[in-house]
Amino acid sequence: MASTHTSSHTEAAKMEQVITEFFYESLFIILESRSPFVSSRNYSGEQTVSSPSSSSSSSSSVRPRDKWFNLALRECPSALENLDLCRQSNFESVVVDVILEQKPLDWGPASFSPKRDLFGNLSSKDKNSLFWNSDQEESGREIKSEKIIERWLVLHESRKGRDCNLGNRRSSCYSLSALYKKLILLWRSLYVTVRLLPAYNIFRDLNSSGQICAFKLVPRVYSFVEPLTRKEEVDMQRFWFTPVDTSCGRLCVSVLYYSSISDTSSESSTPMSPQFIPNYVGSPLADPLRRFPSLPISHGSPSSLPFSRRHGWSYDHYKASPPLVSFSPSPTHSESHALVMNLDEYCPSPNFSASPSPSPSLPIHIPRSHLSEALLRPESAPVDIPGPKVANSPALSDKHKLPPSPPLKITRTGTSRTDNFRVPAKTGATIEKLFSFEKEDRRKYSGVKISSCGSPRISCSRSSSRSFQDDFDDSEFPCPFDVEDDEMTNPGSRVESYDKREHPSDINEAGLFVNRKSQDAAVGALVRMLKKAPPLCQDISLNFSEASRPEMWSNSIQKQSQISEAATVEHAAALSSASSRLVASKTAADALEELRGYKVMKNLLLSEGGKAYTSANV
Amino acid sequence: MNCEVCQLEELKVEHFEIREVLRCILHTIVFHRALGLLRPKDVDLELFEITYVQCGDVELEKKIDEKIDHFISWVEKHPNKKSQLCLSFYEVKSKQPSWFTNKTERLYWEQWYANLNVTQHPKHHSSKTHHTKVVVDPGESATEERSSRRAMVEASLREVLFQIIKFVNEKKDHLPPISEGVIYFPYETTIPSSSYSAFGMDMIKRMLHSGHPTMLS
Repeated sequence: MASTHTSSHTEAAKMEQVITEFFYESLFIILESRSPFVSSRNYSGEQTVSSPSSSSSSSSSVRPRDKWFNLALRECPSALENLDLCRQSNFESVVVDVILEQKPLDWGPASFSPKRDLFGNLSSKDKNSLFWNSDQEESGREIKSEKIIERWLVLHESRKGRDCNLGNRRSSCYSLSALYKKLILLWRSLYVTVRLLPAYNIFRDLNSSGQICAFKLVPRVYSFVEPLTRKEEVDMQRFWFTPVDTSCGRLCVSVLYYSSISDTSSESSTPMSPQFIPNYVGSPLADPLRRFPSLPISHGSPSSLPFSRRHGWSYDHYKASPPLVSFSPSPTHSESHALVMNLDEYCPSPNFSASPSPSPSLPIHIPRSHLSEALLRPESAPVDIPGPKVANSPALSDKHKLPPSPPLKITRTGTSRTDNFRVPAKTGATIEKLFSFEKEDRRKYSGVKISSCGSPRISCSRSSSRSFQDDFDDSEFPCPFDVEDDEMTNPGSRVESYDKREHPSDINEAGLFVNRKSQDAAVGALVRMLKKAPPLCQDISLNFSEASRPEMWSNSIQKQSQISEAATVEHAAALSSASSRLVASKTAADALEELRGYKVMKNLLLSEGGKAYTSANV
Repeated sequence: MNCEVCQLEELKVEHFEIREVLRCILHTIVFHRALGLLRPKDVDLELFEITYVQCGDVELEKKIDEKIDHFISWVEKHPNKKSQLCLSFYEVKSKQPSWFTNKTERLYWEQWYANLNVTQHPKHHSSKTHHTKVVVDPGESATEERSSRRAMVEASLREVLFQIIKFVNEKKDHLPPISEGVIYFPYETTIPSSSYSAFGMDMIKRMLHSGHPTMLS
């Protein structure tokens, strides 16, 4: 009697131990194939050893745990840690979500740091330490996207009542050995299955790739989790392992998974899903307001200086067509032209955005009334990176002299705004890609309408960023749009092309409600306005010499001024000619006053733009 | 004891894919039937984005490779023919010896049939292809065709592996008890098609083609 009682307890204890090991092994097999750098896969050298039981010498390499279910696997600390969760749930259910986590979009070259912590410890306590690298933490932005690509469910469904008869020694003995054998088969199947699912390819690629990836695989273990939404479940497939009956219930393992995951793992430098990036680095929309340190402050009309950028982006496009003044985000566009918006009020604004004009662009005028709205766009336009060919400007012609980081900064912010996942692995690759994007993005830029007879309406999009502010603070990257003189044309000369916003005072609203078309229109109008401005014929040389502008600009600007005049003639807007006349008639005092006004506006926009961007981010 | 038979789905493969496909299938089956203590080894296929599991036994790998070589030789001798490879698990039972029978007999408790439809090589196939594009621009269209075909084979192979897993999970009661110290159940691989006599098959072929049973050349 006592022996029966004892043996039944023994059997019950054994059963309990088997169930405990069931949870552990299942967790182990799942986690070790979904946690990169924690997997036994990395120790393939050990796998060439013959079967552990083939020789006596190998028995020493077999750990006691390996004998459970006859599968010698490496230790998996995360599985051990998560075993606590199983205990909490009384070994009834464990859910393992395999999450594909995309890194924050606003990361630039600075974040390509080897100190990234991809996976590390995957315990639930430490998972937060894996999410962000230091650069992203500095920015204070934690923009990531997660997707559950697999959900494993490990269950012990208890069967209560008289069916659960542990006192039957004979049946429990039978059931225990049969149970053990079936569990061995189950773990064999589980081991094979985890390697057949699509998530394993991602795990394998992440493990083997030494490159910085834009995403990572994070398994999370729960004792209880809310069910997936209906839509998610519909898109996923389910695979059931045949349940194994125990004396007190049955052990079940099932998995919900996506049968196909977008090709994220094949290239570490490609995004999960292709998304349009309107503000790619290299487009002048990224940073059209780069400061030109040598731009004259108080001289001349705005017509000439804005016509070309300091970095000579514009001249890359003056190959086939006369370098008409236009706002050109694309340095390789032969017809597009860079617009030097040497306007103080544009420099600080991260909101300014513009889109390229793929055809020989006509001067773009932006009415003053729309300036503030354009400036307050929370998005920054991509930076125009010049091509190789620049006339009379060695610095301009050398695109490699372009400082990489500001464009990339803007790209980071731009992509964050536009929710693009294109995160190049290397800076060089980034720039190369940008060059290749330009032609495509020319078409993609919204709101760009090239009209042979009318002024082109260029809509702009730009992502704001703190880096924009940094760009302005960084003397190394002068803002081409620094208004230090009255290059900004007479407000009257600024014509349309902004969208219907006519409330320059409503800065916050303009900054918050970004309308790419409006931005593009605004920039287009501004460009047209600047083009329309009469050239600073006598003042050009004076301006450059006085402001210690690089000599390289003189030719370019003169050329641009000539071209702008030609463009002006072609332009059908009577207002532009009137505005140029107005500009010509302005006195130096008027110009100075205007300059002061612009400076005030600039500071105001800077502060507002920053606020708008921060509030949009919240 | 019942003998469970599993007919795996037919795979349409090219000659150079036979080895990888069969390795994947055979090792997966054996891994499920190697219930002794072992250290699994992950192997990535070179031709497909599939990782399968081996038992980590060098001897076992050699035996399976030998059988695959034998199968490939048979396929080369019998081109354009659907072929089968049978993996059988058995128990050895001793019986009363007699004049014509051995002392032991094999009781097969499980048989797996891997069905392969080996197609010709692409270089042989190109002359028969109906793809006019191949003539005009063989590079690009051939590559696309190859990629799509490869993807189909990969998907089919994955289906076959899941079929193995499902079969293993559903049918567990027919397995013999696990002996202490034994890793693998005894098994053998055969090519069922080769059991037909070559002469007999040639006869049948000629009769079918010629239509005259008496015309034997």
